[in-house]
Amino acid sequence: MRIDHTHKSWLVASLAILGAAALLYAVARPPASRGSMGGTAPGLAFGAIGFAFMIFAALLGARKKVPVWRIGRAQTWMRGHLWLGLLSLPLILFHSGFRYGHGLTALLMTLLIVVVASGVFGAALQHYLPRVITREVTMETIYEEMDHVRAQLREEAEQLVAGAAEETAVAAVGGSSGSTAAAAAVSEDDAAPLKNFFERQMAPFLANPRAHGLALADAARAHNAFSQLRMLVPPALHETIEDLENICEEQRQLSRQAQLHLWLHGWLLLHIPLSLALLLLGAVHAVMALRY
Amino acid sequence: MDYFQRQHPLRRWRLLLSVALPALAVVYLAWHGVRGDRRVYSAGTLAPVHAVLTRQCAACHVTQAGFFSEQTADEKCMSCHDGAIHHAAQVFTPSCASCHTEHRGVISLAATSDAACTQCHGNLTTRGNATQFARQIDSFADDHPEFAALRSGHGDSGTIQLNHYRHMQPNLLGPKGPVQMACADCHRSPADANQPWPYSDAQTQPGNAPIVAAKPDPPASTPTRAYMATPTYVRTCAACHTLQFDKVLAERVPHDTPEVIHPFVVAKLQSYIAAHPAELRLPRDPNRDLPEKPIPADYRVLTPAQWVAERTAEDEQLLWRKTCKQCHSLIFNEGAPLPRIAPSNITAQYMPHANFDHSQHALVSCISCHAAATTSQQTADLLLPGIATCRACHRPGTETAESRCFECHAYHDPAQRKPVHSSFSLSDLVISAAPPVITK
Repeated sequence: MRIDHTHKSWLVASLAILGAAALLYAVARPPASRGSMGGTAPGLAFGAIGFAFMIFAALLGARKKVPVWRIGRAQTWMRGHLWLGLLSLPLILFHSGFRYGHGLTALLMTLLIVVVASGVFGAALQHYLPRVITREVTMETIYEEMDHVRAQLREEAEQLVAGAAEETAVAAVGGSSGSTAAAAAVSEDDAAPLKNFFERQMAPFLANPRAHGLALADAARAHNAFSQLRMLVPPALHETIEDLENICEEQRQLSRQAQLHLWLHGWLLLHIPLSLALLLLGAVHAVMALRY
Repeated sequence: MDYFQRQHPLRRWRLLLSVALPALAVVYLAWHGVRGDRRVYSAGTLAPVHAVLTRQCAACHVTQAGFFSEQTADEKCMSCHDGAIHHAAQVFTPSCASCHTEHRGVISLAATSDAACTQCHGNLTTRGNATQFARQIDSFADDHPEFAALRSGHGDSGTIQLNHYRHMQPNLLGPKGPVQMACADCHRSPADANQPWPYSDAQTQPGNAPIVAAKPDPPASTPTRAYMATPTYVRTCAACHTLQFDKVLAERVPHDTPEVIHPFVVAKLQSYIAAHPAELRLPRDPNRDLPEKPIPADYRVLTPAQWVAERTAEDEQLLWRKTCKQCHSLIFNEGAPLPRIAPSNITAQYMPHANFDHSQHALVSCISCHAAATTSQQTADLLLPGIATCRACHRPGTETAESRCFECHAYHDPAQRKPVHSSFSLSDLVISAAPPVITK
C-alpha cells in the first residue's frame, strides 16, 4: 500500500491522538516514588486503548479472510491497521510509564516492539517495492502461477530448440524442394551450436534459475552469450534465438519478481505470528493485572 | 490450472508460524504454571519491603479452589504488621490492601493515596457523631483547614516572656560585646544539642526544676532532628541574662525554684559575713533618709543573723522582682514566704495530630517559614507557620513537594503497635538463593 496524500487524515488524527495521550501522560504521570503508571486510572486507559488498537489491527486479517463482509472498505481497514497499530506502541509505553517490566510484561513489550518495528518495515517495503516491481518486472505474473509459468517457459524453449533441429533435418533431407530460402540455407550441423547452448546453459538456467554462477541469470552476460550464439548459427535460426532470449528474460523477471515478492511479504512471517502471540499474552496480562 | 488451490510455501510457513508462536506462548504460560511460579501473572513487582515474598503468593493472597484469588486477607498482613486502628471513634475500618496497594513497583507502601483518607475524612462520621476534627477534607491543597493551633486564636500558651524582635536586632549586647543572634543560637534539635551553645554559661548551675511543657514531648521513635529541643536557660540565656544576686558576690544562683534559691542565697551570705565581719557596721545611706522622719544614727551595727536576714531580703527582692521576673511569671501568694514560678508551658510540638521534620526542611532558612519571628514582641505570638506557607511547596504537581495526606498524617499510631509472631522461616523466603558457604 502506497503511503501518500490519501493518508493525510489518518496522519493528522494519529498525531492528534498521540499529542493528547502525551499531554495526558505528562499531567497524570506519577513520580517514581508513587509506583508504576499501569495501575493508575490513566495508565489503565492507555493500556485498554492500546490493546484495543492492537485488536483492531489484528482484525484486518479476519477482514481479508472474508472480503465479502460489508464492513468498511479494505483500504480503510488497511489504513486503520497501519496507523492505529503504530499508535499502540506509544500508548503502551505511556501505559507502562516507559518501563520495560519483567517476566510477562517484558515479553509483551519485546513482542510489541518487534511487531510494530516489523510492521513499519513492511509498510515501507509495501510503499516502495510495488513501484520497483512495475519498473523492473514488466512481465509480472500472478505469484502463485509462477511455477506453472516457469514450466511453460521450459516447455516452450524445448519445443523451439526441437523445432529448429527438426527444420534443419527436414531441410537436409529434402533440400531440393526448397520450400523456404532460410530452410534451404541451413544444415543439421548448423543447428548443433544451438542445441549445445540450450543443453549446457539454457536448460540448467530454466530448471533452476537461482543456481549460482549461471551466465543467463545476468542480463548483460546473457545478451553476450546470445550474441555469440547468433554468430555461430545461420540467420534462419536467429528468430528462434530471439525467442529463446525472450524466454530467458522472462525467466529472469520471474526470478526478480520472486525475490521482490519475498521482500514484500516475507516480513509477514514475523509480523503475523508474533502479533497473534502478542494478542494472546496481552489478553492474559490484561485479565491477570486487572484481577490482581 | 490448479495453482490457486495449492498453498504457496510463504503462506504455508505463515500459517505454521501463526499456530506455532501462539502455541509457544501458551507453553510459556503453562511452563510457569507447572513450576508454580506465578510471577508471570503479576501485575508488577512488589515494593522493596515485600520483595522477598515475590514467590510467596500465598503470603498475602487468599487461595480459592486451588488458585490464588485477587483478594488479600487483612489477617495475612497482620501476621507481620499488627497496626493499631486509626481512631477509637471511627465507624469504618478499610482493608489493608485498599490503602496499601501492592504490585506497583518500587514505592513506599506507606505513601497511600488521598482517596484512602478522604473516604472517611471527606465526609467524616464518627461513633457518637462528636469530633474535634474537620468533617470535610478532600485534599491538602483545597479544603484542609488552617492548623488547629492557629485556628483557635488563643496564641502561644508559653509563659516565658520572650521578645523575638529584640533578640534578633543587630548589635545586641552580648557577654563579650555586640552580637547578632541567629535562630540556631537557641533553637536546635535534640540531636544537635551537644554542640557548643554560644550563649551558655558554665558558671550557672542548671538546677533540677523540670521544664514544664504544654504538650508532651514527641514519641521516642520520632527522628531526633524532627523537632526542636525545648530551649533551656543554661544553654541559651545564661551568658547574657546572669543570675548574679548580690553585688559583693560573683556567684550566681542556680536556675531553680525559689525553694532551692533561698537557702542558696542565705548560705552564701552567711559565708560572706563570716569572712567579712567588718561589714556588720553599716553606715547610714543619706539617700534612704525619709522626709519628716527622724534621721537615723550614722552607723548601725548588726548581728550576723540580722545582716544575713536583711541582705537576703534585699537580694531576693531583686531576684523575684527583677532578675527572675524578666522572663518568668511569678505568683506571690499572701502569707507565703516565697513566690511560685508559673509553669513555662513551652510547646515542643504544635501539631499533635501531624508529623513534621525540621531536618527535612533544612533546605530553606528558618525565617522563610517563621517570618513572624523577626517582628514578634509578645510571648503569645504564635510563630507556627500557617498552612499557606506549607502550600507554597506542598501542592499537586510534578515539580512540587508531596502534598498527599500521609506526608504529615499517620493512620496507624506506631506507639500502639503490637508485637507479632510471624510463621515464616528463612528457608521460605530464600528459595532461589544459593546455599550459604560455610567457612571454617
